[in-house]
Amino acid sequence: MKKQKIVAIENEHLNKADSRTIDEIIQALDKIDHIPVYSPDLHWFEQMILNEKQQYQKKLIRDLSLFFIIAAFILTGIIVSLSHKPIVFIVLQAAGIIFTASYTGLRFSRKVNDI
Amino acid sequence: MDDIIKSAKQGDHIAFAILFKENYPFLVKYLMKITMNPDAAEELAQETMTKCVQKLQLYNGESKFSTWLISIATNTYIDHCRKKKREKEWHLQEESFRKLKWHFESRNEEWNDTLSALGKLPEEVRIPIILKHYYGYPYEEIGKMLRISAGTVKSRVHNGIMSVRRELKIDEEAENRSNRERASKQGRF
Repeated sequence: MKKQKIVAIENEHLNKADSRTIDEIIQALDKIDHIPVYSPDLHWFEQMILNEKQQYQKKLIRDLSLFFIIAAFILTGIIVSLSHKPIVFIVLQAAGIIFTASYTGLRFSRKVNDI
Repeated sequence: MDDIIKSAKQGDHIAFAILFKENYPFLVKYLMKITMNPDAAEELAQETMTKCVQKLQLYNGESKFSTWLISIATNTYIDHCRKKKREKEWHLQEESFRKLKWHFESRNEEWNDTLSALGKLPEEVRIPIILKHYYGYPYEEIGKMLRISAGTVKSRVHNGIMSVRRELKIDEEAENRSNRERASKQGRF
């Protein structure tokens, strides 16, 4: 009973100290909130949005072109190897599978070790 | 969902610009609190807005637009911190505080120990404290923003408050005060 009372008093003391700390934090952050912030005009924001959209579109087109070029290159290689040297095709496929499996296994075991 | 957000989502640049202009001061002030650095806050605010331009289609209106902005800004800041740590270009604490201190001095306001104590906390602790106790977000929402569990948020907030308490020596003050009160009571009898 006495122990419970002591714990209750200690908790009350802790809560008071916590709420005082929180009050201090809020007051300190309030000071930052009162710093005036210069907001650019509407035209600046509009220009920024237009520029960003243009850049995003350019990047999308560039990435897609790169993807299609690489895809075409790989596909051509595979088709040529399949039609002219099937053994090369099989070796390439086997190497691809082994590489993917070992890479995935390695990453997975690293993650498990990290945990 | 707000009409202005709907228009922005449909590609209306002016609606988008109005939305950003309305939220810009709020965003910069939030970033100032978590970075404790006004220059970094402005840079991050602009980066956050460029990310918003790309991601607005993903905003579903479940939370307030300002909450969504805060969430993107917070993750942008955390990514920056990780990169900086990796590049080992982490500035000294005093250096990043200098500009904020200058702002305080120019407004005849005093820089206080609480701000220093907050600044000393790591960003993964400072951010949940600000979101919880200044902006009043629940633990679950903060967890969603930071992509961590609500329990982790709770423990980070608790540990952070304890660190600030230790830094401000609030426990010692309280102890001294209770000792004084006890002594005065004993003197009375």
